[in-house]
Amino acid sequence: MIDKNSGKYWNLKNNINSWLIMLPSVILFAFFVWVPMGESIVMSLFKTKGVSLEKFVGLDQYIAVFKDPNFTAALRNTVSYVLWSLVIGFLMPIIIAVLIGETTRLRGLFRTASYLPNIMPGLATVLMWRSFFSAKPSGAFNVLISYLGMDARAWLSNADIIIPLIVVILTWKGAGATALIYMAGLAGINPELYESATIDGAGIWRRTWHITLPQIFNLGSTLLILQIIAVFQILYEPLVLTNGGPDNASISLMQLLFNYIQNASSIDYGRASAVSVIIALMLLTFTVIYNTLNKRRESLE
Amino acid sequence: MKKSILTLTLAFILLLAGCGAPSNNDNQPTATPTATPSSTSEVEITPIGEGLQGDPNLTATIKLGVWPSDTAAESEIAMHEGFVAKMKELYPNVTIEPFHYQYAVDTYVTMASAGNAPTIFQPWFTEPQRLINAGLVAEITNELKEKGWEQYMNPGYKRMLSDAEGRIYGIPRDSYGLGLMINVELFEAADLMNEDGTPKYPKTLQELAETAALIKERTGTPGFCLLAMDGAGGWHFSNIAWNYGATLETYENGRWYAHLNTPEVVAAMEFVRDLKWKYDCLTADPTQENWGSGMTQLGTGGAAMYFGANDAVDNPTAINGLPVDKLALVPFPAGPKGDQYMLAGGTAYMFAPNATSDQIKACLAYLELMGKAPVLTPDSIEGMKQDAARRVQDGIPVIPRIQAWNNPEYTEAELEVVNQYQNIDMRFYQDYFDTINKGALRAEEPIMAQEMYLELTKVIQRVLTNKDADIQKLLDKAQDNFQKLIDEYVNDAQ
Amino acid sequence: MNGIKRTGVIRDYDLRSSSVKIGLVFIYLACAVILVVSVFPIVWVFLAGFKELKEFYGTMQFLGNKSFLPKAFNIDYYIDTWKDMKFHKYYINSLWSVTGSIVTALLFNGLLAYGLSILKPKGHKVVYSLVMFSLLIPATTFITPLFANLTRLKMTGFFTPLWLAAGANAFYVVLFKQFFDSFPMTMIEAGRIDGCGPLQVFSRIVLPLSKPILVVVAIYTINGAWSDFLLPYLVLDNNYRTVMVKLFEYRGANNTNDLDVLRAVVFSILPPIILFFFFQKKLTENIMTSGIKG
Repeated sequence: MIDKNSGKYWNLKNNINSWLIMLPSVILFAFFVWVPMGESIVMSLFKTKGVSLEKFVGLDQYIAVFKDPNFTAALRNTVSYVLWSLVIGFLMPIIIAVLIGETTRLRGLFRTASYLPNIMPGLATVLMWRSFFSAKPSGAFNVLISYLGMDARAWLSNADIIIPLIVVILTWKGAGATALIYMAGLAGINPELYESATIDGAGIWRRTWHITLPQIFNLGSTLLILQIIAVFQILYEPLVLTNGGPDNASISLMQLLFNYIQNASSIDYGRASAVSVIIALMLLTFTVIYNTLNKRRESLE
Repeated sequence: MKKSILTLTLAFILLLAGCGAPSNNDNQPTATPTATPSSTSEVEITPIGEGLQGDPNLTATIKLGVWPSDTAAESEIAMHEGFVAKMKELYPNVTIEPFHYQYAVDTYVTMASAGNAPTIFQPWFTEPQRLINAGLVAEITNELKEKGWEQYMNPGYKRMLSDAEGRIYGIPRDSYGLGLMINVELFEAADLMNEDGTPKYPKTLQELAETAALIKERTGTPGFCLLAMDGAGGWHFSNIAWNYGATLETYENGRWYAHLNTPEVVAAMEFVRDLKWKYDCLTADPTQENWGSGMTQLGTGGAAMYFGANDAVDNPTAINGLPVDKLALVPFPAGPKGDQYMLAGGTAYMFAPNATSDQIKACLAYLELMGKAPVLTPDSIEGMKQDAARRVQDGIPVIPRIQAWNNPEYTEAELEVVNQYQNIDMRFYQDYFDTINKGALRAEEPIMAQEMYLELTKVIQRVLTNKDADIQKLLDKAQDNFQKLIDEYVNDAQ
Repeated sequence: MNGIKRTGVIRDYDLRSSSVKIGLVFIYLACAVILVVSVFPIVWVFLAGFKELKEFYGTMQFLGNKSFLPKAFNIDYYIDTWKDMKFHKYYINSLWSVTGSIVTALLFNGLLAYGLSILKPKGHKVVYSLVMFSLLIPATTFITPLFANLTRLKMTGFFTPLWLAAGANAFYVVLFKQFFDSFPMTMIEAGRIDGCGPLQVFSRIVLPLSKPILVVVAIYTINGAWSDFLLPYLVLDNNYRTVMVKLFEYRGANNTNDLDVLRAVVFSILPPIILFFFFQKKLTENIMTSGIKG
């Protein structure tokens, strides 16, 4: 076999050819992602006027962000979004995958239906849910619960439940797609494993515990980190549903950033850039810790 | 009848003429009439000047940001297509690129910094100073002087649209005054009509609460739509606070100070709390109500009353289905001590920072065709008539505008057009204009108004969702937050 | 569908136990709940679009109205909104935007992943780290410098920046790379021995075997390009605006109400849904065979 990393496989000419193949993509990445990203980092160290740099101010913008009365709320909420998404958003796809995996008849239908919300554009989804959870007695959700004898409520202005509610909306959209990946993993389990376990006297619960869940755990660890990164950057859901309210109860770090570039007299691209660097650093730290732990776990195994 | 309306409206317009726009030196508009009302026997519209002469040498391509959105009424788009055709005749070398643009700070700053902004656009009155200071708009002093329009700008608006050296950067389009919109159908259903067929509307904020509660009791429909989402919540609230006697910003010794936690503001906030927790007369979730949803509530009969202005009468009617004769606009209710202010704001025309002189001239010519310039020409009169006819056809009340220019001939001509095309019972609007006439208009707080509104909205949200919220404490916090913002971006900014 | 074999924990022989049978009934019930929850809001939004304003809000003569069904299925409301918004134009624009994006997304991300996964020239790890790093940074944060750069290069107005941007998507690169990583190297080696250069190996050997991942990335791209609105909103001229840009503007416009917006929502989700029903089998199967693996 070829040692992929030895460098013997492709000679110098091929090395150049390989780079030529990658070059257009690398240029695109540079133009659309890396250069603007670098410009953002530079910007975060400056006082800005519009998008032009006025004066180098070192870390002043970062200090100003930390002192912003909205920052604490934004950070706390963002963590809260992530935690809730671990409870609701992480478990739901697993439950869906396991349940649908046990069906035979109608399995295709269940799978299709649970995937359907995922193909809806994000903005359309949020606009739909905003009307769905309308506080009016005629709001769809209020009508639904009225059949259960419950009174109409103002769902989107309840500070205690707004974050879990937004996570439910996120989950509604994403769970089916994630479940599909789990289903693929579960379908890949060798049936003989189950059968031999049965012969050893394992009941359904023990088989689930010892065969199904470990398989899910392997898949789940990758999906989990992708999910955390995605939820950490939540913006449009709170922006459209509540605009961060009531009284900052749902404002996220990304919305704090968004506010810096859209709020009337205090448009501040430097400060917005500082927030984006802060977000990036947090995610980076998190990823590094996660990878270290993961490697240690793998080496233990 | 017609004549009296004309006199009245003319008078208030002239009074308003001196009414200050926000400027950095005075936050209280001063009502200084700059002309005395002329006698108005028979007004005949006579064009002055020959109108646009055209100029084949004027060469420019303009990105016309005043174009109506695709979703606007077809008649409105057709009207603009007509203007474009006329422009083509007069200025064969001017190319017009229709570019509907709804001003928003974030998109504008991005586009302007990138050199991509529409040549002409329409920001509201809170924006000009900021845009001028940021260097994001073009100077138009010479072009205006050449047209002779500069002399008709009233001093308040001119100050708002100029920098410290007196260079002019924009022209006013029109302005508005915040009043109380009324769904007459619901007032009828609640048996709140006078014998003469006008609604028994609340004159004070106290009456507003009581009337709203009564309407809810009699019809099952919320009496009042209060806004508590986005900046709009704080925006309406600032008017309530004024009528409770508050002044939210002052300028002392070279620094700006916020006053969001004074006893007057606390009393106003307690009024808001009572609307929800004592009178229970609000729509289901005020924290989900913004400017547009409030219009929908009023128009569809989801609420009987709503704070709205004369420039938005198309919204409950044509857009949300309220019959044109079932809308009334009355003065903003007075406070407990009789203070009665009506928040004034408006819209200006401004120009992209990289606009050339020719481009600006072409835009000004277009405004003249639209009838938005302070000159009476056959074209501008035709523009006004077309606009009024369109309103009649679409079921939008034809009512006077609050003029932004000091040109009596122009004002008279426009009023005559309004009277010709009248499609509503003017008594539903009379008190509104009368109160403005008495000097009730008050410009928005001058410094970082949008940020202030957001801070106030947060407090309103808390008060409406928590019966026992500590109002004083919440306002103290809002005051603290907002003062810090003012210090950083205004007082201590270089 | 009856032919599907049991693949879960419950095996056929378990079904002899009646408690397992009852359990299975509950599983089906739970699946039915999943189905209803997934589909109901979408059905609701379609139905709501048939209502008139007062009916939708339950005001005036409709006070207390609780029916999810409209009093009449009056398609005129939809037609009016369609006409008001001139939606046909935006559909065509979106189609353009999506089509171009698919081409660049497959080509450029695929080639980059091929380089990173199989060719691995000297220094590729730097590029890979940069790609992974860009996964972590919210795109919204650097849209301003990007837009300023685009304007400086006079690239705004048409779809070009959107198409090219689709060619630089870290997520797609990762998807491709994961797929290529599991590629049998013996086949690549065979190609090399036959005298193929890197590009020929890609076109003759890698591409034909990559159909599942191509389909998946294409579908993600369709979804992404159809749903995106911030960059399109900034760069596209009026003539080229897409459906989502329109929806975004429509949401905040002064001359609309909630029902108009909901009908616009319906129009914006209709094409993805139709497409989905045509391709759902292919899509779900391909994601299952090529999806992210642990």
